[in-house]
Amino acid sequence: MNILIIEDEQALQESIAQYLGKQGYVCEVAVNFREGIQKISDAEFECIIADIGLPYGSGLDIVKELKQIRSDAGIIIISAKDSLEDKLNGLGLGADDYLTKPFHLSELSARVNALLRRKHFGGNTSIIFQEIQVIPASKSVLVHQKPVELTAKEYQLLVYFIANQNRVITKSALASHLWGDEYDMAGSYDFIYSHIKNLRRKLMDAGAPDYIKTVYGTGYRFE
Amino acid sequence: MHRIILKRCMVQVTGSNNMKLLTKNTIWFLLIMLPLLAAGGIYLYHQFDKELKKEMDEELENDQIQWLLYFKSIPDNSPVFRITTPEFSIHPAKGPADAQPLLKTIMQYQEVEHKEVPYRQLEQVIRIREKFYTLTIRKSLIEKDDLIKNIALVMALAFIGLLLFVILVNRLISRSIWRPFYQSLDKMEKLQLEQMHHLTFPDTSVTEFNRLNEVLLNATSRIYHDFVIMKELTEDAAHEMQTPLAIAQNRLELLLQDEALQPSQLQSIAQTHEALQRLSHLNHSMLFMAKIGNKQFVPTGNISIRAVLEKHLRLFEELIRDKGLTVSTDISGDLSLLLHPLLADTLISNLLGNAIKYNYPKGAITIQLNEHLFSICNTSKYPPIPGPQLFQRFKKNASTLENSNGLGLAIVKKITDMNQLKIYYIHKENEHHFIIRKNKHPH
Repeated sequence: MNILIIEDEQALQESIAQYLGKQGYVCEVAVNFREGIQKISDAEFECIIADIGLPYGSGLDIVKELKQIRSDAGIIIISAKDSLEDKLNGLGLGADDYLTKPFHLSELSARVNALLRRKHFGGNTSIIFQEIQVIPASKSVLVHQKPVELTAKEYQLLVYFIANQNRVITKSALASHLWGDEYDMAGSYDFIYSHIKNLRRKLMDAGAPDYIKTVYGTGYRFE
Repeated sequence: MHRIILKRCMVQVTGSNNMKLLTKNTIWFLLIMLPLLAAGGIYLYHQFDKELKKEMDEELENDQIQWLLYFKSIPDNSPVFRITTPEFSIHPAKGPADAQPLLKTIMQYQEVEHKEVPYRQLEQVIRIREKFYTLTIRKSLIEKDDLIKNIALVMALAFIGLLLFVILVNRLISRSIWRPFYQSLDKMEKLQLEQMHHLTFPDTSVTEFNRLNEVLLNATSRIYHDFVIMKELTEDAAHEMQTPLAIAQNRLELLLQDEALQPSQLQSIAQTHEALQRLSHLNHSMLFMAKIGNKQFVPTGNISIRAVLEKHLRLFEELIRDKGLTVSTDISGDLSLLLHPLLADTLISNLLGNAIKYNYPKGAITIQLNEHLFSICNTSKYPPIPGPQLFQRFKKNASTLENSNGLGLAIVKKITDMNQLKIYYIHKENEHHFIIRKNKHPH
């Protein structure tokens, strides 16, 4: 799976490429609008991550260009501006997702993951991790082919973990994934702990090993 | 908020024993005019009295001259020289004759009035041919007294009437002259920072008021200018901060993946990451507030608060359950508000979020919703929020959580202020209570 990252901030671009690279994606980068357009016409990408504010043009114009050449690449817009118009504009032009800076790399990875799954299998496929099978269409989970009852939040957690397997995920990333940035958590993530505890118990009861590792003082790792 | 401050300043300036300009004017007028009129009245009364006395004395002297002429024409043994009446008496006396008649006021019994009444009396020892007589002529002063009383009464009435008339006219004139002043005052009182650039004053016919208005206009436009600059600075700064924040946060997130790191190092990175997260939340909230202030969220239609509330009750379901809170809702109707959907979400989310956050385990949240108001009440161990700090940004007090950015209520207030809504806060019996209503009298 190859991804094109069009972002003019070198450090940001590198971080994204590095994180997604470790998740098994092949990442190509462009630092401005022209280079982005060049790379789009040169090769085919499954997913394109584009910043809105770019030298020589806007990320939104990249979306337009992609639609013009009838590319079926998934498009994720990232922007420093948390503006509803930009978001609606981007989605209206045909972008698949929109992320506001700053974002968690784990969040971006989860979005890319979900997007590619939607694009390529029409959502009709299941996510397999060892003996765990997640069926996005029905939002159900099977362990050893036997269904496991999960709450909506537990399901979201599991999908997020699988998309970021072997990575340390901070509690704040989990909190904003589950509740959005709208709700100011006031630094207390105790409630996440109870959801994770329940998820871990349900998976282990169904016969899966304990995949959710606590990284002391930091967050969790699914491995 | 700005209005409240303005009002507070005005109270301080005018002090506690203030009164209306018109009242003060009238009181001063009365304080000066009453003694003046009284003194004038007394002076006039005395003048009248003196004048009438002089008149009376002249009459008495005229009478005396007439009598003297008459006495000279009658023989010495005429019975006239023995007349004694209350008004006129003459009887022989010892010489020598007085050069001047003696004029004085005496009290004497009068048959008609049945009492002692004042008389003016002329007395003189006169010489008619070789004999001396004491001549006494008297005239009753009772009519003159009545006359003076009548005059005084009429005068007093005229004075009082005049005074009242002058006060009335003064008030009417004052009111009309000061009208532009009150209009300006009214405008300034209702003025909100965001609307300062719309401020205009009509031309008046009074130079001083025109000057005042000009000064006010200059001051407010300076304030507004500074305000806009500050606002733009905040916005630009907040905006420019997003990218570096993103870089730093993502770098740290990557660093967390390094398996060579010690747990203590990982923890430091996680804490730094957390602090940056808070900073970006704060930044995000500030930008959001600035946007609300800039009216960047134009209502697209009426929003059903009931739907928004139900959505957020679902969204916060786990949080409520985790804390063991009892939520009781009394929804007897739907409040329909002209609001941007995002603002409606934020409004309900912040209020409900606070009611959960500041609650204690197994506490209660009571929500009431009808056509007129949305009210949310939560039990809490936190003390009441002091009034002036209630909606202020970053105001940390005993009732602020350690890591809260303190902007939640400020955002709620901003949303209500910018959208013709009113918010009320009540604290009683360890319950915090917020009520939102439509503002019936928007300025």
